[in-house]
Order: sequence, then C-alpha cells, then structure tokens
Amino acid sequence: MMFAVAAIAVLIALALAVVRVLAGPTVFDRLVAANKIGNAVILLVAIFGFLTGRPEWLDIGILYGLLNIIAVFAVLKFLRYGDLGVTGGEEPTD
Amino acid sequence: MLDLVIDAISWILILAGSFFLVVGAIGLNRMPDVFSRLQATGVSDTAGAGFILLALVFQAGFTLVAVKLIFLILIFLFTAPVATHAVTRAALSVGVTPRLFDASGRQRRKITEEVMRAKTAARPEPAAQQKGKGKPGARKKGGRSSKR
Amino acid sequence: MVLLTLLAVVAIGIVRLRNLFAVVILGAVYSFLIATVFLVLDAPDVAMTEAAVGAGIATVMMLAVLHLTKTDESRPRQPQIFPLFVSAVTGAALIYGTLDLPPFGEADTPVHTHVGPYYLSQSIPDTGVPNVVASVLASYRGWDTLGEVVVIFTAAIGVLLLLRRAQRPTRQATRSRRDAP
Repeated sequence: MMFAVAAIAVLIALALAVVRVLAGPTVFDRLVAANKIGNAVILLVAIFGFLTGRPEWLDIGILYGLLNIIAVFAVLKFLRYGDLGVTGGEEPTD
Repeated sequence: MLDLVIDAISWILILAGSFFLVVGAIGLNRMPDVFSRLQATGVSDTAGAGFILLALVFQAGFTLVAVKLIFLILIFLFTAPVATHAVTRAALSVGVTPRLFDASGRQRRKITEEVMRAKTAARPEPAAQQKGKGKPGARKKGGRSSKR
Repeated sequence: MVLLTLLAVVAIGIVRLRNLFAVVILGAVYSFLIATVFLVLDAPDVAMTEAAVGAGIATVMMLAVLHLTKTDESRPRQPQIFPLFVSAVTGAALIYGTLDLPPFGEADTPVHTHVGPYYLSQSIPDTGVPNVVASVLASYRGWDTLGEVVVIFTAAIGVLLLLRRAQRPTRQATRSRRDAP
C-alpha cells in the first residue's frame, strides 16, 4: 500500500517531467527534465522491487544513476565545447 | 510494536517524499525560466528521492538491500547538486539570461537585457556577440581550445 | 500502462521535433522509459543492457555525430510517400507475424517444452554457474557469444575510426565559417 502510493507519486512526477521535456523552449529545460526523468526512473526501479517483493534489483538503480549523470554531462560538455552558435532557444517551427 | 513504529516512520517519510517529488514536478512546469525551474526541481527532487529511499531503508531492515539503498542515497546526494550546478553554469555561459521580475516584471527584464547587451558589446571581437557568452566562460574555453 | 503511454508521447515528440539536440535528449529519455518497461516485464538483464547502450553509449555517440553536422534537421523537399509506404508494409507484416505467436504465458509453448527444461534442470551440474541466463549465454552458446563480441568490437572500432578521421578538417571548417560573418 505504501509502496503503491510512492509509485503513483513517482509516476505523476514522471508524466509532468515528460511534458516539460516535450515543451521546454531551450535545451537546458529539456536537460533538467531529462535528469528528473532519470531520477524518477531510479526511484521507480527501487519501489517496484519492493512492490513485487524482490528488492534485489537495486543494482540496476545504481547503474541508472551513474548513466543519468553521464548523459547529462555528455550533453553539457558538447554544449560548452562543441558548436556553440546554434544552441539556445531553437523552437520547432512546425 | 516495533513493526508498527517502523511502518509509521516509513509512511511519514514516503508521504513527505511523494509531496516533494510532485511539488518539484509541478514547479518544473509552472516556473517561467530555466533557472527557476532548476531551483524548483533540483532541490525538491533530491529531497523527495532521499525521503523515499530512506523509507525503503527502514522497510528493508539490516540487510544487503539496505546497504545498496544507502549507496543509492549517496549517489543522489552527490550527483544531483553537481548536475544542477553544471546545467546552470552551461546555461549562463551559452547566454541564457535569468529573468528577474517583480510586480512590474517587464521593466526589470528589459534592464537585465540591456546589461547583458552592454556586456557582450564591450567584448573585443564582434563575432562573439551572437554566441553571447559571459567572460569567464570565454576565457576558459580559450585556454581549453589552445591546449587541444 | 502509464509507461507505455509516456513512451508513445515521447516517440511522437521525437518525430515532430526539428532540433536534433532535443531529439538526442528525448532519445535518452525514451531509452530510460523502455528500460523500465523491460524491468516491469521481469527482464532485468535486458533492462540493464538497454539502459547502458541506449542511454549511455548511444547518447554520447549521437552527440559526437552532431559535432560533425548541423543541429537542425532540414525539411524534406517533397512529401515522402515511398518511405511511408515501406514502413507501413513492414509494420503490417510484423503485426501479421504476431498473430501466429502462442498466447502469452501459456505453459506448453515451444519455448517451454523444447530445451528450456533441460537448461533449467541441468545448468548447475553441467556448468556450475548459479545464474541460468549467464550459463546459457557463456557456456551453452559460448561460440555464439564470441561471434557477437567480435561483431560489436569491429563496429566500435569502425565508429571510432570514422569519427576521428572526419573530425579534424570539419572542425577547422566550422571555425572558419563561424568567424566569417
């Protein structure tokens, strides 16, 4: 019961973050929201392990945490040292 | 008795964590610009995840699972502020200006835009104006690319 | 269910967006979400592989490719009928193929009657590895796995060579182009 409440809260946060990823005007909005989605997914993995009575999957959660920050830093490094001219505020025009 | 106490503590922690997570997600959608969104989601996300994982630690007891969960909490505590900080620095260095607004919000925003324009116009090469980077970021990038 | 809905939403976003940065970020998000779906479907190995490859390596490689090209997708000149036709036919064929699959979770499907019980019962005396998936991958199908490793290694070397060779002249070209206006 209590894990179900937590899972529902995490899913709500996940959905709202997906909304921001799709809507965000700049790249950084999408990046922040993607980071939040990664965090929510880690929490979901942990909670789901407890929900089904097999909490041995937490290693995957740890792996996701490391991958999350690797992805964020890869994008940021590219933004800083790559082609800087076209980054911020490119809206889809269709 | 002890089980009841542990369950109560877990309930409280999970409710607090869920509250923080959902509030952070709402803030992510309601705030006006990048920096306030970062502020809304970075802080509350770390808090919410920490609370929920702490509740799971209480549920797991003294097992290997609890050790893994504490490891996960440590990863959250270290990586989430670092990621937030890095996103903020990158946003500033690329040229996203924070939107400062009060009751007459539009006025303040114009002032900051003029300040940023003066800052970029004062730089020596005119080609950098469309990039709109701040000075420390530019110096750091110069040093890095000369090393390359 | 919620996760699948979010997956569909993210996929539509990937198709519609034109800024390739956003597409890369959305790709990482998609791969995290589908890894969670795999986990819910009780396949943690697949989920771990999907997250490592999809969210980690694929994101970094896509960014490395983006370094070489523009960051905005150009519009197609005319509406593309033929690719739509090909993908629709392929999708219809795949859906037709799923009609012949046995029902999900049934006990007497070929998967559960052919070699599966042998692996499950004999993997400990044969190989001594406690995890059945690991014993099948590394012992029963060892040559198969060796072939996969060779293929992946070759692909990784090829990608690295491609990226490195194209990198130097392209970077100078972009720098001179940026200074020009």
